[in-house]
Amino acid sequence: MKKVDKEVADAYFRTRTILIVIFLSIGFLVSFGVVAFAEFFSQFKFLGVEFHYYMGSQGAVVIFILCLFLNAVLSDNVDKKFGIDDDANASISSGKTVDH
Amino acid sequence: MDAQTLVSLGLILATFALYIGISIFNRAKQTSDFYVASRGIPPFWNGMAIGGDWMSAASFIGMAGTVLALGYDGLAYIMGWTGGYLLLTFLLAPQLRKYGRFTVPEFIGDRFDSNPARLIAAIATIIISFTYIIGQLSGSGVVIGRLFSIPAMYGTMIGVVIIAIYASLGGMKGVTWTQVAQYIILIVAYIIPIVFMSLQVSGNPLPWLTYGNVVDEIGAIDRELGLSEYFAPFAESDKSQFIALLFTLMVGTSALPHVIVRFYTVTTMKAARWSGAWALLFIGFLYLSAPAYAAFSRFILMTQVAGQPMDELPGWTDSWINTGLLEIADQDGNGVLDWTEIAVGNDMVVMATPEIANLGMFVIGLVAAGAMAAALSTAGGLLITISSSFAHDIYYRLMNPKATDKRRLNAGRIAIVLSTVVAGLVALDPPGVITQIVAWAFALAGGTFFPVLFLGVWWKRMNAQGAVTGMLVGLASTLCYIFLAMNDITLFGIQDTGAGVIGVPINFLACVIVSLVTAPPAQHLQDDVIDLRYPEQMTYKDGEVWMNDGTGK
Repeated sequence: MKKVDKEVADAYFRTRTILIVIFLSIGFLVSFGVVAFAEFFSQFKFLGVEFHYYMGSQGAVVIFILCLFLNAVLSDNVDKKFGIDDDANASISSGKTVDH
Repeated sequence: MDAQTLVSLGLILATFALYIGISIFNRAKQTSDFYVASRGIPPFWNGMAIGGDWMSAASFIGMAGTVLALGYDGLAYIMGWTGGYLLLTFLLAPQLRKYGRFTVPEFIGDRFDSNPARLIAAIATIIISFTYIIGQLSGSGVVIGRLFSIPAMYGTMIGVVIIAIYASLGGMKGVTWTQVAQYIILIVAYIIPIVFMSLQVSGNPLPWLTYGNVVDEIGAIDRELGLSEYFAPFAESDKSQFIALLFTLMVGTSALPHVIVRFYTVTTMKAARWSGAWALLFIGFLYLSAPAYAAFSRFILMTQVAGQPMDELPGWTDSWINTGLLEIADQDGNGVLDWTEIAVGNDMVVMATPEIANLGMFVIGLVAAGAMAAALSTAGGLLITISSSFAHDIYYRLMNPKATDKRRLNAGRIAIVLSTVVAGLVALDPPGVITQIVAWAFALAGGTFFPVLFLGVWWKRMNAQGAVTGMLVGLASTLCYIFLAMNDITLFGIQDTGAGVIGVPINFLACVIVSLVTAPPAQHLQDDVIDLRYPEQMTYKDGEVWMNDGTGK
């Protein structure tokens, strides 16, 4: 066991939290944001459909999926930067979970 | 039996044999096999299993029809049921995984160190999953009943027997791999018909790119007929109801116990993040296709069926009129069937479209097998959740903590068989419209669990009193609003299906206020919450973070 500096530990948590806030804001804007101003967006067209309809039927879902994959990749990079090894995670995790 | 019935039946039986084979091969030997598949499922396959677990008979059979009937307003289901995975993967799943328990009630009981909270959570889990499973069983009844032209009741009974056998045999490990197989079957069955329809209508095999133009043409026909255009926003409901429904479905999705438990089956927080990403990709294939399904069916109905003389209607219309899902009447008596004289039931669109578009016996049979896969995979996941709430949380953690592995496994199996039989009996005569019951399950899940789980993993000051009050007040206010809205007493035009927007904030407030006016939780419980900020290799202890580099303590 090695002690982690408080700044380092806080920096890890801060980076992860910022990622979460950014991605959830994007998700919120493309769903609730577009719905709230649907009448306004209906004057634009995208791929042959009114923009509000496109976002509801495809755009929002595609952006949700991209957010999740981007977050998974970026979070892996954050882990790597802080020296976290996933194999070690897995073996620690299997010893620590309550399997009763 | 005609050739179509034989083909459909053959496909369904072949897939059933596959599922049962998989469960026997992955038979559970220990309790951790039974509840969390020994926590060793790779994220890619877990994502696929989440897809199968998640996409129910309502998604498969009902969603395209809902979009067809409601136009833009039906898209709240598409965005809500996918957006929930954002909340789940960012806010709950990795943290719950690191906490490392078997079930949602167990997390709530241990995090707040409170057996009353555990019991309330277990009972709420059973109520929510039970509501949801009734829809699945009656959905399978509709498919089997239509297939053999027998009452849906007997179809439901056949479905109940199959589900009980494989869920009790395999436990979570068996269910995981059957859900993977069921996902593959249901998604193939969903996409093949729209690829053919897209070819028929536009000559391009990629429906996701072509249906925009079809939507536009439908809008043009609507204009001609003087109807509100298909894509016009808020034509069928208020904007407030749209937003409330979207909110309810999103928050409810992220708090459904049978979905959360799937994230317990992987190794680490990282694997939980990847599971969520894969899951939404696999789910997205169906949700991105549903509006295309709706647009093509509506287009074919509008251009090829509407406008036909009444005595030259295609053969499929008769059999669907018999089920009560299709109504046609020559109201103006001119001998021609107009578009406005056709009433299409939501639940027939996906099942009937292959017939309407003349896609051949094999595709029609495949869609029937896909619908069964959707119903069975969700029912399997729900049964494991009900059984673990009873056998693990209530029987083992509260009643008999000394029970052996074997006794607990048996208790779990008995709970599965019992709940299947009871849910099957209720499903014989379902208490309401299926999509409506399913929406209530989301409102209840969000209203009862989301604030408690969210604050439980992010706010160390949250305590047992807050959790108990939050769950009870959330459950009660959601139920209350559903009841009031059913009797036409509504706030801001929000209907019963949007009840989560009332229950969730009330639950949040109750959790925060009650936690703050009562004593803070014990120090080790608070430390556990801070520990969830970091990956497994980092541990928070006594105000400091330690890195486990393999050198011991």
